[in-house]
Amino acid sequence: MVEVFRHDVIIVGGGGAGLRAAIAVAEADPSLSCAVVSKVYPMRSHTVSAEGGTAAVARDDDSLEMHGFDTVKGSDFLGDQDVIQYFVEQAPKELSQLERWGCPFSRNEDGTVATRAFGGMTTKRTWYAADKIGFHMLHTLFQTSMQFDSVVRYDEHFVTKLLVDGDQVRGVVALDIRTGNIKLILARAVIVTTGGGGKIFPFTTNGMIKTGDGMALAYRAGVPLKDMEFVQYHPTGLPGTGILITEATRGEGGHLKNSQDERFLVDYDYGVGNKAELGPRDMISRAIVQEIRAGRGIAGTYGQYVHLDLTHLGKEKLESRLPFVLELSRTYVGVDPVTERIPIRPVVHYMMGGIDTDITAGTQMPGLYAAGETACGSINGANRLGSNSLTECLVFGARAGEEAVQFIKGTDEGNAAAIQAQGEEEAARIDSLRGRQKGGEKISQIRRELNTTMEDGCGVYRMQDSMAATVREVASLRGRVSDLKLEDTSKVFNTELIAALELVNMVDVAEAVANSAVQRKESRGAHTCEDFPTRDDENFLYHTLCYFDPAGPRIEKKDVTLGTWVPEERKY
Amino acid sequence: MATKKTFVITRFDPDKDEVPKTQSYEIECQDDWKVLDAINFIKDEVDSSISHRWSCRMAVCGSCGMMVDGEPKLTCKTALSSYGDTVEIEPLANFPIVKDLVVELEGFMDKFQRVKPWIISAKDEAAKKAATTMKEGTNRQSSEELLEFKQFSMCINCMLCYSACPVVSNEPDFLGPAAIALGHRYNMDNRDDGAAERNEIFRDEGTVFSCSYANECSEVCPKGVDPAAAVNQAKFNAVIDWATGFVVERGGAK
Amino acid sequence: MAATKPAHPDAMAPRTAGPTRTAAPMQPASWKTSPRMKAYARFGMTGWVYLIASISAIVIVWALGSGPEAYEQMQGVLAKPLVILFHVIALISVGFVLIRFFGLFPKAQPARIGPAKPPPEPVLKVMLYAAWAGITVALSVILAGGIF
Repeated sequence: MVEVFRHDVIIVGGGGAGLRAAIAVAEADPSLSCAVVSKVYPMRSHTVSAEGGTAAVARDDDSLEMHGFDTVKGSDFLGDQDVIQYFVEQAPKELSQLERWGCPFSRNEDGTVATRAFGGMTTKRTWYAADKIGFHMLHTLFQTSMQFDSVVRYDEHFVTKLLVDGDQVRGVVALDIRTGNIKLILARAVIVTTGGGGKIFPFTTNGMIKTGDGMALAYRAGVPLKDMEFVQYHPTGLPGTGILITEATRGEGGHLKNSQDERFLVDYDYGVGNKAELGPRDMISRAIVQEIRAGRGIAGTYGQYVHLDLTHLGKEKLESRLPFVLELSRTYVGVDPVTERIPIRPVVHYMMGGIDTDITAGTQMPGLYAAGETACGSINGANRLGSNSLTECLVFGARAGEEAVQFIKGTDEGNAAAIQAQGEEEAARIDSLRGRQKGGEKISQIRRELNTTMEDGCGVYRMQDSMAATVREVASLRGRVSDLKLEDTSKVFNTELIAALELVNMVDVAEAVANSAVQRKESRGAHTCEDFPTRDDENFLYHTLCYFDPAGPRIEKKDVTLGTWVPEERKY
Repeated sequence: MATKKTFVITRFDPDKDEVPKTQSYEIECQDDWKVLDAINFIKDEVDSSISHRWSCRMAVCGSCGMMVDGEPKLTCKTALSSYGDTVEIEPLANFPIVKDLVVELEGFMDKFQRVKPWIISAKDEAAKKAATTMKEGTNRQSSEELLEFKQFSMCINCMLCYSACPVVSNEPDFLGPAAIALGHRYNMDNRDDGAAERNEIFRDEGTVFSCSYANECSEVCPKGVDPAAAVNQAKFNAVIDWATGFVVERGGAK
Repeated sequence: MAATKPAHPDAMAPRTAGPTRTAAPMQPASWKTSPRMKAYARFGMTGWVYLIASISAIVIVWALGSGPEAYEQMQGVLAKPLVILFHVIALISVGFVLIRFFGLFPKAQPARIGPAKPPPEPVLKVMLYAAWAGITVALSVILAGGIF
């Protein structure tokens, strides 16, 4: 038997977007019961690791049009301009709200919030809190959400399935990690805010929990994933661990250097013009890979890398604006940025793609919303500008919450018996997976093979035949992942079971990424196909939609909403 | 380069074990590993039934706190090379144990919420809420004002301080270092007007005055929050707030 | 398990009992050997010294008020070697506690109370030690009969 819980709105995932949505629901209508269901305690969500800052128009020399254009151009013209328009308008309001909720932003002399330069932004509009904005944002949102009694948390509950009836979402099936019991949590609207799926790659800034769970939930329920081929490689991650070294290091004046100690972004033509280190992430990541291919990389235990030189910034600036970078570099690579160059290489950081949503944060399924990295609006298109994603969490988390509150006014709860039956079936499936010793495949082995094939086929530079090989490999892993061998038979806090469920989600996400990548025969933003090195607006100016199908994913096309800005050559 | 080390890990399954026991694992460890890398290796390749919490592996999410050779540590930040051939790994001290290296966190969540860790504002919000720009929608705060509380806002809720505190160990009602530090953080924030309420909570039993200034919390804090300073500053503020409350409106002491 | 004592059985217990059985909270094993914890234990133990000193102070004051014979007898007791040894121990205890306290005092000052800011740490420390020295001298003079 499964226990049934009823609420008005369910939010899956308790990071920046999820908590913002919860506060939006609570403020819009305190009489509604809002459940936040997260597989970790909310302060552990990966929002916490974001470092550089969060973007919104702040200064007098800036305008909504400029922020909008920078974002559209950064997206390589694949972003939907109506959604981007809404995004840049809401951004200053949302960030101001965050400040009033207590976020400890760094300040100017006059007491206003300080802003710094960031990649691809024509002026300073990145609001920052030293170099720990994600940490401060997440804790501010979490602590603020605690004052609302209508927000009920299900901490350490893993959602395995969306309950759907009459083509509408009706709730979720959640595994209570503590007890091992299954719960049916029912509601008239569900908002998915579970972040991205960077852990399908071997080198990533992402933490262990970024396994694309929400994307997989929607995918399996028939909702398409959009633009999954666009995976952002952050130029400056630490070799080996993949730990993020923020773009703010470049925003504050840091230089990228090769083995000859040349500032290669200046000395060679990588398309970033005089923006140099402040060019967009896709271009800089490609530049670094090119430098390494040209033999100007530096060899290390974990492969080739280049240098990030902060030594000319001075101890005082580093300690006040980049203290976390100092700590990370000293702890994890034993390098003191005050006097030495930091080894860095491009690592997977963010997924521009995600659950197909529109300007309302709504999906194709009534009652289902998505926001944050999980969603694809699309404001980021083919490449995201740094510091736009934290703002995205706030803007669309809020919108999703507000829309959900409106939606549930006019809807019913569906067929209770049918929903109960779905839930019981899912519960039985999970119970049979736990401690499944007759299987033949090891979790860590499949995970390793998945990582390897994704790195081979969907790296910074991609080739048609390696992408096709990855598509085949992932399809074969899909078969193998249904035969996992699980040793842990315990019911209480069984993390092996969670790892198995996450692995299945990772395979789903990888399938969408690989299949979307292989059909895009052009290079745009973060998707660089060596067989088709130029952008092809005539044939490929569309969003890729990937639909789940047991016989193999089905690809469809969706129009890009253009607007004021006509696609042009993307030069900086 | 790799060295062999033996890990003695606490195991406990409430459905099978009366009390916790230990299990030993001998593995080859790389020289640049942190303690967490070893635990993950054991889970992935040797014994998949070990339960532990971790996520970011960069000392910011606060999940991976455990006792390593009897001391509370963030295992993702603790280099394995500083330990000998045998390393003891136990769940965080002073917490009830749920399974293996996983402890009960709800006690902390209760204490955390009690200090009202959010901005309590008496000022008029309506004008700022309606504003569309940064200048009109935000509060002013100088860098000096930010420094008055910033250190105390750096807490990642890893709870190593609770494991180190002798009062937490002996007095179940004690709010504890992180919760009090967070309440104090809001009291010292110039945008907050809730000091009166929180100081009243701090004059209650089991709050700041149970602290005997052992300073262990600050010794183990991996983020330099210095909760001992926060708790003892809070004592000061709570008393001054009480004393001056006879002549001026409470909450004036910030 | 590493040899460690149980903590209070309700340490860090949630208000409402959790849904599964938990094992008892334990104290850190390092507390038995840690030099810092030994210093903390000594700090706590000095409480015995103050207890005994308080009782003796009451006895002395009572003797002062009970006439010249009681006073002479008390002077005799005070001159005994064991009693002098106790007072030496008391002096060391107070010194230990005050030095520890003075070390921890500066960071326990809030950054600002109303408009007032605390003096910088070195200044504070000098003020504390100066106050201690001053009060010690004044009391010694008074007790030696220098003023009253």
